[in-house]
Amino acid sequence: MSLEERRIETVFQPPLAADRSSAARKRRALTAGATAIVIAAAATVPLFSSAYLLQLATDIVASIALAYSWNLISGFTGYLSFGQVAFFGIGAYATAALVLRTPIPWYFAVIAAAVLSGAIALALGTVMLRLRGIMFALGMLGLARILGVVAQNLTFLGGAVGLTLPAELTPVPVYLAMIGAALFAFALNAFFAHSRWGLAAMGVRDDEGAAVALGVPTVRVKVASFALSALAPAVVGGLVAWNRSFLDPPSAFDPTLDLQVVVFTLFGGIGTLWGPGLGALVLMLVGEQLWAFLPELQLALYGILVIAVVLAFPGGCVGVLNRFGWLRRRPILAPAVLPRIDRPPSEAREGGAVLEVRDLTVRFGGVVALDRVSLKVERGETVSIIGANGAGKTTLFNAITGFVAPSEGSVLFEGMAVAPIPAFERARRGIGRTFQIPRLMESMTVWENVLLAASNGRRADRAVEQAAWALEMAGLAALWLETAEKLTPGRQRRLELARVLALDPKLVLLDEVMAGMTREEQDEIRAVLRRLKHFGVAAVAGVEHVISAIADLSDRMIVLDQGRKIAEGTPETVLRDPQVIQSYLGELQ
Amino acid sequence: MLLLQLLVNGILLGGMYLLLAQGLNLVFGVMGVVNLAHGAIVTLAGLFTFWFATTLHENPLIVLPVVLVLVLIVGAFVQRLLLEPLAGAGRKAELLSLMVTFGLSYVLVEGALNLFGSQYVSLPDLQTTWRIGGLAVNEALVASGLLGAALSGALQLWLNRTASGKALLATSQNQIGALSCGIDVRRMRAVAFAIGAALAAAAGVLLILVIPLAAPTADTLTILAFVIVALGGLGDYQGAALAALLLGVVQSFVGYYLGGDAEYVVPYLLLIVFMILRPQGLGKSGRPVWSERR
Amino acid sequence: MPNRMSLIRPLYPIALILAASGLASAPASAAGPIVIGASVSETGPLAVDAGYHLRGLELGVAEANAHGGWLGRQLELKYYDDKSEPGTAVRLYTRLLTDDKVDLLIGPYSSGITQAVAPLANKYQRLMIDPGASLPDIFSEGNHWNIQGVATSTGYLEGMLPLAKEHGAHNVAILSLQSAYSLACGKARQAQADQLGMHVVYTTTYALPQPDFSAMALAVKNANPDVVIACSYYPDSVGLTQALQRIGFAPKFLSETIGPAEAQFTSALGPLSDRVISNTTWWSSLKTPGNAEFIAAYKAKYHEDPDYHSAATYSAIEALGAAVKATNSLDQAKLRDWLFKNTVPTVQGTFKAGAQRGRDGVQAIYVPDPGERP
Repeated sequence: MSLEERRIETVFQPPLAADRSSAARKRRALTAGATAIVIAAAATVPLFSSAYLLQLATDIVASIALAYSWNLISGFTGYLSFGQVAFFGIGAYATAALVLRTPIPWYFAVIAAAVLSGAIALALGTVMLRLRGIMFALGMLGLARILGVVAQNLTFLGGAVGLTLPAELTPVPVYLAMIGAALFAFALNAFFAHSRWGLAAMGVRDDEGAAVALGVPTVRVKVASFALSALAPAVVGGLVAWNRSFLDPPSAFDPTLDLQVVVFTLFGGIGTLWGPGLGALVLMLVGEQLWAFLPELQLALYGILVIAVVLAFPGGCVGVLNRFGWLRRRPILAPAVLPRIDRPPSEAREGGAVLEVRDLTVRFGGVVALDRVSLKVERGETVSIIGANGAGKTTLFNAITGFVAPSEGSVLFEGMAVAPIPAFERARRGIGRTFQIPRLMESMTVWENVLLAASNGRRADRAVEQAAWALEMAGLAALWLETAEKLTPGRQRRLELARVLALDPKLVLLDEVMAGMTREEQDEIRAVLRRLKHFGVAAVAGVEHVISAIADLSDRMIVLDQGRKIAEGTPETVLRDPQVIQSYLGELQ
Repeated sequence: MLLLQLLVNGILLGGMYLLLAQGLNLVFGVMGVVNLAHGAIVTLAGLFTFWFATTLHENPLIVLPVVLVLVLIVGAFVQRLLLEPLAGAGRKAELLSLMVTFGLSYVLVEGALNLFGSQYVSLPDLQTTWRIGGLAVNEALVASGLLGAALSGALQLWLNRTASGKALLATSQNQIGALSCGIDVRRMRAVAFAIGAALAAAAGVLLILVIPLAAPTADTLTILAFVIVALGGLGDYQGAALAALLLGVVQSFVGYYLGGDAEYVVPYLLLIVFMILRPQGLGKSGRPVWSERR
Repeated sequence: MPNRMSLIRPLYPIALILAASGLASAPASAAGPIVIGASVSETGPLAVDAGYHLRGLELGVAEANAHGGWLGRQLELKYYDDKSEPGTAVRLYTRLLTDDKVDLLIGPYSSGITQAVAPLANKYQRLMIDPGASLPDIFSEGNHWNIQGVATSTGYLEGMLPLAKEHGAHNVAILSLQSAYSLACGKARQAQADQLGMHVVYTTTYALPQPDFSAMALAVKNANPDVVIACSYYPDSVGLTQALQRIGFAPKFLSETIGPAEAQFTSALGPLSDRVISNTTWWSSLKTPGNAEFIAAYKAKYHEDPDYHSAATYSAIEALGAAVKATNSLDQAKLRDWLFKNTVPTVQGTFKAGAQRGRDGVQAIYVPDPGERP
C-alpha cells in the first residue's frame, strides 16, 4: 500500500483488533474516570474563578459543544460541512426573538430555539444532502451567508442593527447550561460511536453506494445526523446571545466559528468520540496564552494546523494516542466471543420466478447500454450472465438493484414490480449484490461490515446472531475483528459474500466474484456459493468472466453482447454457440 | 434603451465574473478539488498589484507577467507539498484536499492582512466611459471582460489543440487511462494546480483595476467563483462562460428593479435554484452535483 | 506505562493554577496610578482605524500625566487586543472589570464591538465613554452607563439637506449600506427630508462586498434626484462615485459618509473626488480649544497626522478628566451624573451628554474646497 493510500485511510480510525487485555481494560477505566473528574471540575469552576475566567470557561465549553456537533455530520457521517455557524445563528436569533416577544424565560427559549433549528435542518437536509460531498460543503458555506443576508433584511429581527436583549447578569446559569449543551453533544457522539445508528452513519461515510446495497436507508441516516448536529449549536448560539445581551448578523453568523470548529475537531481527531472535546479544550487553552505572543498570526496558524493535521496525522491527537493503545474505538456491538450459530438448512419455498426482467432498456445519453433485455431467474436456479466487456452486464445489475433507472421496461422481483421501490429497500426485501471491485467499509472491522448488513430491520440481538452466522458461512469467523481493508483480496471477496448473506437475501447477484482470485480462492468461494441455496437463497445470478469457475455451478447461462441478449441455455449449449464465440473473439477465420 | 443599457452592463459584469472564475474549473477537472484558496490568491495578487502601482508608481500591468511566473512556480510547489500526498481517488481524498485548501486560504489571507492591511483598495486607472449610441460603456469592465474571455479562450485552445493541453484533458477525464498512455499524471496534477493558481492571480491583477479588493473578503470571491463554475457545471468551460453571463445579466436587472440587497443575494439564490432544478449546470459536459446514489 | 497516563491526566491542576492567578491579581490600590482600561483592535480587519483610536488614547493619557495627572495620581492605560472580535472584547472587558479591577473604562473601536460590550457597563454599573461607536441604539433606553463619545450617525450629513434646499434642490435619493450605523443614518436622513418637505425619489440598501454599482447607479439616474446621499463606508463610496460618473449622471449634490474622509479616496478617484461632499466629526482646522496643540503633540509623537478617531478618544480622556477633577472622585455614579449635567470643551467641540444620553457632537459637512465652517 502506498504512502498516499495509507494516509487517507487513517483519517477515520478503524478500531484496532479489540484489545481485551487487562491493560486495555485499565486504560478504559482510567479514561472514564478522567472524564468524570474533568466534568466535575468543570462544574465547580464558578465556585473559585473570577468572572473573566468563567467567561473563558464558558467559551471553551461552547467550542466543545460546537465541535462535537460538527463531528456528528462531518466526522461520523462523512459530509463535511463548512456552515455549522448557520445553526448557531438560527439558535441565537430564535432565542432572542422569543425572549423579546414572549414571556418565555431564556432557558426555555434556548431549548425552543434548538428544536426549531433541528426542524430547519431536517427540511434543509433533505435537499442539501443530495449533493456530492464537496458540493454539500460549499453549499453549507453559501447557506450561512444567505442566512446572514436574510437576518440583515428582516427588520423584525433587528436587521443590520441587531437586537438588544435585557441586560441580566447570569454568567453562572449560562455556564452551567453550556455544560449541559456540551454534555448533550458528547452523549450524541457516544451514541453514534456505540450504536448501530452510528454504524450506519459510518457506512454512509465510508461508501454510501455500498451502504445502500446493504439496505442502509442512507437518506434517512444522513438527514437525521444533520438534524442532530443542528441542535447543540443552536443552544450555544442562544446562550451566547443571551450572555452578551446583544445580537447582530455579523456576530450571529461569524465565519470564524466555522474555522475554529474545523480546526479543533481535526486536531483532536475527526470522527472519533474523544477528538472534538480534546481538540477544543487543548487549542482553546493553548490559544488563550499563545495569542499574546503571536497575535498577528492567528488565522495563519489555524490554517497551518489544518494542513498539518490532514497531511501528517489525519487521525488527530486521538489517532496518535490510539497507537499507544489509548482511546481506541470499540467495534460496535461486538460480543465478547463470537457465538456459533447453528441454523438448520432451509430450502427456498416453492413459487414462481424470483426475478423477471422484461424488455429492459437503459440509455445513458446517446449510448444504449441495455437494449430490450428479457430474462427470468427461476426459483432454485443459479444463472450465469456472461458477455464481452461493455456488454451491459453490470448495468443490468445496477438496474435490477435500483442504482440505475431503466429508460424502458420493467423488473419484477418475486412477482412484484420494483420500480417504485428505492434501492436500499430492494436490498432489505431480499436482493443482495456484490460489486466488481469489493466495496468494503474501510474504517470498520470485518464484524462491523457484516453487522451493518445484518442490522436492517432486526433487533440488536437478532442482528448479532445473523452477523455471526453469516461470518461462519463465509468462513471468516476467525478474522471477525480484523480491519476490513487489511484482508487479502480473496478474503475481501468472501467478506462481501458474508455481507450479502447477512441480508438474508432471496436473490443474490454476484458481480464478477471470481475476478482476480487464485484457484484456491475460487474454490473457497465456490464452496460458499454451493451453500447459499441451503439457506433461503432462492436464486443466484452471477456476472462472470472466469467462465470455467462457474460453468459447473450454473443451471443456465445467458449471454449479453452490446446490450442485447444473444444466447440462453445450458452452459454446454451456450458455450458452443458460434454467435457467442464470435462476440468474444471477433470474426472467425 | 434602458433595457439595452442594463443588458450591456450585465454582460460586462459577466465578463468580470468569468475572469474571476478562471482556473477553478481546471483544478477541479484534473484533481477533483475545489480550490478554496482561489479567492485568497486573487486578492493577494490584486493587493500586490495595488502596492506595486502605488509604491513604485509603475504601470500595474507590468506586474502581470511577473506575478504569473511567480505563482506558477509557487503553485506547483504548493501542489507537490500539500496536495499530491492526497491524490488518491475517491471521496475521502476529495474532502481532505478540500480541507487542505481551506487551511491554505487562511494562511494566504493572514499573509495578505499582514502585508497589505485590511482595508479595501483600488486603482484609479481605467475610469473612462465610452458613449456608444446612447449607451454608457465602462472601460474597466470592458477590459476585464475581454481579458476574461481571452484567458478563457487561450485556455481552451491550449487544452484542445496542444499536446500538453490534451494530456491534461485526458488526465481530467480518466487518470488511469492517461497513465496507461504514458502521461505523467503526477506532473499533470502539478501543472493543473499551478496554472489554475496562475489564472487566479492574473484575475486578481486585472480585477484590482475594476473593483476594490480587501483581504478579509477574499472568501466571498471564492464563493462567487465557485457559484459560477457550479452553475456552469463543474469542469465545463463553456458552461462557466454561460453561467458568468447569466449571473451578470440577472444581477444587473435585479439591482435596477429591486435594489442593492436583492442584487447581493442573486448568486446564492441562483445556486440554490440550479442545485434543485438542474444540478449538472448549464453546460453539457458538466458533472452533476448530485451524489452518485440516491 | 506511567508517562502515557499523563497524557490524559485531567487538566484540573492547570485550571486551578489559572484560577489562582486570577484571584491573585491585586486591585488598583488607592495610592497607585489611576488605571483606565480598554480593549483595542490591534489586529484584525479593524486594526488600521483602531490604531488611530489607540494613539489618541495614549496621547490623552500622556498629556494628562504631563499636567500632573488626576487627583494627584498618574494615569495608566491598560489595554488588550480584542482582535476585532466582539466575543474577545466581551471577555477582555470582563477581565478588566473583574480581574484587573480598573478604575475607569473607555469603549472599544467600532460600533459593532461597542454594541457587544456596552451591556457589560450596564450589568456592572460602570461608566463607559464610547468614542468608537456612532450608532445611536447603544445609547437608547435601558442604557444608563454608556455615554457616546463621538457624533452619532443619525447626525451624519445632517447639514446636507438644509444646505441643498437653500440652493433649490427638491428631489433626494438615499442609499444605505447594510450596517447598523449607516442604516440609522439613512433613516434619519429620510425623516429629515420628509420634515423639510423634500421628495425622496429613490432609496435602496446594499451590502458589502458589492463589486459593481452600475445597476443602482442607473436606477438613481432614472429617478433624477437633485441630491444623492449615500450612507456608506469606504469601498462603496468609491464604487458609487465611479458608477455614477460612468453612466453620466451628475447630481447637483453628491454626498457620502465616511469614505471620502479616508486619504485613499482622493488617490483612488483622482479629480472625481472633488465632487463629493462628506461629513466628519472633526478636522484639523477646527477652532476648538486645544485642537492645534493636540495636532502638534500628535505629530510630534507619532510622525503622522491624527484623524477623527484619535480626536474622539482624546476628547473622551479630556471629558473623563474633567469629570474626575470636578467630582474629586472615581465613583462611577457620581462621574456619570456629573457628565450628564455638565459640558466639557474638547478638541472635538463641546462634549455634552444629551437627553438621550447620547452626545450632541459636532456634525459638520465639508466640501473639498472648504471655507471656515462652524
